[in-house]
Amino acid sequence: MNESSIATARFTYIHDRKWPSAAIDVHHVIVRQSNLKGLLVCLLAFGFSANGLYLFMVLDKSPFALLWSLLLSSILLKLGIGKSVLKESVMIMPHFGVQLETHYKSGRISRRFVPVSTILKPLLLEHVNPVTSYWVLSLILLKEEELTPVFKELHLPLKMLVPIWKELCGSVSGDNDSSVHSNVEDHEQSV
Amino acid sequence: MAPERHRILMVSDFFYPNFGGVENHIYYLSQCLLELGHKVVVMTHAYGNRSGVRYMTGGLKVYYVPWRPFVMQNTLPTIYGTLPIVRTILIREQISLVHGHQAFSTLCHEALMHARTMGYKVVFTDHSLYGFSDVGSIHMNKVLQFTLADVTQAICVSHTSKENTVLRSGIPPEKVYMIPNAVDTAMFMPAEERPGGNEIVIVVISRLVYRKGADLLVEVIPEVCQLYPNVRFIVGGDGPKRVRLEEMREKHSLQDRVDMLGAVPHASVRSVLITGHIFLNSSLTEAFCIAILEAASCGLLTVSTRVGGVPEVLPDDMIVLAEPDPTDMVQSIKKAISLLPGIDPQAMHERMKKLYDWHDVAKRTEIVYDRALKCPNQPLLGRLSRYLSCGSWAGKLFCLVMTIDFLLWHLLKLWQPEEDIDKVPDFVIPTGETSSAFDQELDDQSSS
Repeated sequence: MNESSIATARFTYIHDRKWPSAAIDVHHVIVRQSNLKGLLVCLLAFGFSANGLYLFMVLDKSPFALLWSLLLSSILLKLGIGKSVLKESVMIMPHFGVQLETHYKSGRISRRFVPVSTILKPLLLEHVNPVTSYWVLSLILLKEEELTPVFKELHLPLKMLVPIWKELCGSVSGDNDSSVHSNVEDHEQSV
Repeated sequence: MAPERHRILMVSDFFYPNFGGVENHIYYLSQCLLELGHKVVVMTHAYGNRSGVRYMTGGLKVYYVPWRPFVMQNTLPTIYGTLPIVRTILIREQISLVHGHQAFSTLCHEALMHARTMGYKVVFTDHSLYGFSDVGSIHMNKVLQFTLADVTQAICVSHTSKENTVLRSGIPPEKVYMIPNAVDTAMFMPAEERPGGNEIVIVVISRLVYRKGADLLVEVIPEVCQLYPNVRFIVGGDGPKRVRLEEMREKHSLQDRVDMLGAVPHASVRSVLITGHIFLNSSLTEAFCIAILEAASCGLLTVSTRVGGVPEVLPDDMIVLAEPDPTDMVQSIKKAISLLPGIDPQAMHERMKKLYDWHDVAKRTEIVYDRALKCPNQPLLGRLSRYLSCGSWAGKLFCLVMTIDFLLWHLLKLWQPEEDIDKVPDFVIPTGETSSAFDQELDDQSSS
């Protein structure tokens, strides 16, 4: 079993190649929890909520002040602590397909299996939204208009996406070549 | 010594798929700078579904940032809202210099402000003339004063435009360079055979709005048609004043002598121009006027109003100037008709090739970039003193705005450190070995 890893401040990437003869390729990306950041965000959210409560209960201000404070605190908690994702995984099974998994802190696991015959091409794209731009690894699938992101929740650095993209390309192109060869052979036999 | 390779971010609300003088200027300048070996990235707002990263001819990368335009193609001004995306683009593309275009572009002003906050050198190009007395101009001039208070260098497209910009913004004139626009003479070529016969065709192609002098056309066309029975007009363009021209045509029964083409796509402008002998421009204000360059390149004699930077554009034997008055314009058209037999379209085209060339514009702009990058960096306090001179209360407000921007930038650095932003690999679109070249760049990037 071969294993390699890359770590950044926010993520740890582990590449695990199981059963060398079958060469199932597993790529895990684990979210590293930042305790200090989480604590600061909680303190700030607590401060807003306490301020709202003080305004409402002690100073007899309008309940809207409390509602706004609570709304602001919840937005802060959502943005600061982030989505409750533990890790995301990609399992590449050559000639079979790709399994995409997202593991949440609540224990929920979201899985999707993509047969290799439906994958037209894996792509590394630059995504732009109103506040930032980042790289995204996506799949173009047969009969689907929208791109399928490989990592649903996490925005990974390029150095973690590149090896996964290369493995996906190798797996897809190998299967596409063999399907082309088998089509050619079938055609020759029929002639 | 090898020339320094710059990494330029062009910013404006006005870019492809919109068509216009500013859009063309940014596109052609970017293409020529790419040919000179520089890296150019364009940042503009999204146009409908055209959102995200796109690549144009020559590998010109364009960020269509999904900020919706709210009025006249301008992004909604939020002052600090564009700071995160501007910072991200500057870091990931490893930009060395930011070049903003057009005083009316809110995205340009915000990007230049953020770039200065982050210590980048900025260059601003003003493409239009503005007034001094109406409410809109007063407001615009104050915004321009704010942006140009701390700009590294500025560029104007004519000497008149330079005077106008210096007076409006108070920028020292020694910081302002004059680099005219140019024309793609390969695209605008005269017809192989000039339109013959007794008929003289006068072409007008412009937006039919007040500032383009559409009201003057309403008075000039019937008079010229009466004086010269062999003159015909072709009017291309659309706008709110089109109705007035249609009414004039009906009133004077000129349906067979005045053709109204409606909006003419830019790709079709040449095909309209080569059907004519004279090009008529009736603008009430123009910083430069690329339209008369295009007409001259197609071999047409130009009749134009003497406004703004127009007198600087063409040699005296290629243009007849008139005051923006119907009587004077009619006299100038008479003079132009008398000069027509002496006009050689091919010779005119060859002269235009030598006079105006986008490669020359790019080389001159490169000199401005070199000088901008040599300017010393100033700390925040030194820069704030420049804003204080903008006015008694405006100066203090500008200082406050810049200080808050500075603080927000530092907060953003804590929230999203520079190390977390991936640098984009540099690659030129190669011929042949596309995937191997890109793979090599990615490998280098991922191993660093």
